[in-house]
Amino acid sequence: MNIVVPIKSVIDVELNIRVQEGKIAKDGMSYIISKWDENAIEAALQLKEKHGGEVTVVSVGPDRASESLRKALAMGADKAVHVNDPAAEDSDSFGFAKILAKVAQRGPFDLIITGKQAQDTDMGGTGPILAELLGLPQVYNVIKLESDEPSTLKLNRLGHQGQEMVELKLPALIAANDSLNEPRLASLRGIMAAKKKPLDVLKLADLGLSPDEVGAKGARVRTLEFQPPKRRAAGKKFEGDAEEVTRKVMDLLANEAKIFA
Amino acid sequence: MDTLTLDDLSGLPGLLTEEEALIRATARAFVAEQVLPQIADHFERKTFPDELVPELGALGYLGANLTGYGCAGVNMVSYGLMLQEIEYGDSGLRSFVSVQGSLAMYAIHRFGSEEQKQAHLPPMARGQQIGCFGLTEPDHGSDPGGMRTFARTRGNTFVLNGTKAWITNSPVADVAVVWAKLDEDSHKAVRGFIVERGSKGFETPPMKSKMSMRASHTGEIVLSDCVVPKESMLPLSNGLGSPLACLNQARMGIAWGAIGAAKACFESALAYARTRTQFGKPIGSKQLIQDQLVEMALEITKADLMNLHISRLKDAGKVTPQQVSMCKKNSVAQALRIARMARAIHGANGISLEYCPVRHMLNLESVYTYEGTNEVHSLIIGQGLTGFSAF
Repeated sequence: MNIVVPIKSVIDVELNIRVQEGKIAKDGMSYIISKWDENAIEAALQLKEKHGGEVTVVSVGPDRASESLRKALAMGADKAVHVNDPAAEDSDSFGFAKILAKVAQRGPFDLIITGKQAQDTDMGGTGPILAELLGLPQVYNVIKLESDEPSTLKLNRLGHQGQEMVELKLPALIAANDSLNEPRLASLRGIMAAKKKPLDVLKLADLGLSPDEVGAKGARVRTLEFQPPKRRAAGKKFEGDAEEVTRKVMDLLANEAKIFA
Repeated sequence: MDTLTLDDLSGLPGLLTEEEALIRATARAFVAEQVLPQIADHFERKTFPDELVPELGALGYLGANLTGYGCAGVNMVSYGLMLQEIEYGDSGLRSFVSVQGSLAMYAIHRFGSEEQKQAHLPPMARGQQIGCFGLTEPDHGSDPGGMRTFARTRGNTFVLNGTKAWITNSPVADVAVVWAKLDEDSHKAVRGFIVERGSKGFETPPMKSKMSMRASHTGEIVLSDCVVPKESMLPLSNGLGSPLACLNQARMGIAWGAIGAAKACFESALAYARTRTQFGKPIGSKQLIQDQLVEMALEITKADLMNLHISRLKDAGKVTPQQVSMCKKNSVAQALRIARMARAIHGANGISLEYCPVRHMLNLESVYTYEGTNEVHSLIIGQGLTGFSAF
């Protein structure tokens, strides 16, 4: 089973994210694989371990994206493709999907696994558009995956108040929820082996794409600016007799916060 | 204002390769997920997290810097970074990794026969065979050449007699690398022997009372007419220099590790100082506390950079024993000082296992003494400087 896993390198969300002149400051930040993409890698590796085949990880981004690709190779992926072209920067979901579709079409594949959304933008657009461009069926928000034979997946997907059990014939695209699995840590042997695995670096031209189809020029959704979230005002502290304090708090909840209205 | 981290001060991440950075990040994630949530409890109950051993094997942490036989073959810098993250968790767990890899496995890898390597190294790398290293004796610590453990040749066997003390992992070890004098009482007669659990006359009683390294198995090795086959001798071991070479291997890793414990103590003290309020202000806003935090951060930064530099020399095959002694002595002495300062900054809370400093402080008292005491390393460096042996 040949599986393609697109991954996104995102700013470590545990760090203080700063906004400078309407843009997110990227210097000096550390980057990680978007967490749902790690679940996608893990799912792909488990399928490969069961049915054989190859796992190819793909990332579109500047130089630093290669770190995330190496990490995926260290976890056990076989090959990596890094689309590193300044003209691809500031693509919208549609632009990224176009690039990923071209990469996927370079070789035969049975399955594409994405995270259900990126951890930085929470947009969740690239996967569905990629499925559409490639004419693939898609199942989103997968929390359980079984595969007795390589041509079919049995999936549970999470809905608002329950689970939907579906069977999916390949080729197809699925998107992982973080409860699908526990992504493995890269072993030292894996990290050492990753150095020797192929990592292809491609330009847009290598994929037959022109710079104005994607990136800021080709984007149909344009980001105007980022603003830092407003700082929350300090809370109020009440001390004293329990009954009196409770009365005060109830009064504020009712009349100031108006939560009972 | 954004506050600085230790990495911001040292610039260490910028000095690492992509692989080294990934090894560091992965070990950090392992410790955060699997070690930190449970380790204080193990320390209190005087138990070891045995279930982590196969996990350490799967991640390639056991014998990581050895080549072949299922070992990852990473460089000294990667190995040191990994040990530092493990000791950020606990010195007991790091001791397990050091003893298994740098002492027991290293001794077999360097001095063993091909058959011995094939039989022991792959299962030890996977964590399926636990090893220990018996050199220290109740009456011979800093002077291992005085050891009273002897091996006598008897037909096709050796008969071992003697007692080893303070042996990490011995109560649970499947194999012990034991150092003994073969047939005569001299430094040159020291040889290594692989003794397997189940051999007659081989016992490993645990050390009863210890206030340090409580999350670690520590015991004796008692050999009473213990008969082992001829093939159990490490054929390339030859004199006291052989076990000392193993110690020199482990010491560089210990230097890295101790600073991991120091970082945990510093970070705990910093977080505490920023939130603990006395006299109406966080204690971190007081000059006395800031001076102590700065002192701690400076020593950590200096130790990290010295360990990195000497490890790069080791990777290039250009390191001297004196340089390794310098790193062990400096890192452990400073780590212990930092742990004590961090303990004090936490005030009364500093004696509780709810906070990490007192646990690290107690552990580091052992690290200060083992693998060459702080004073023995002075003698090694002092001899190098003056040309006079002061042992």
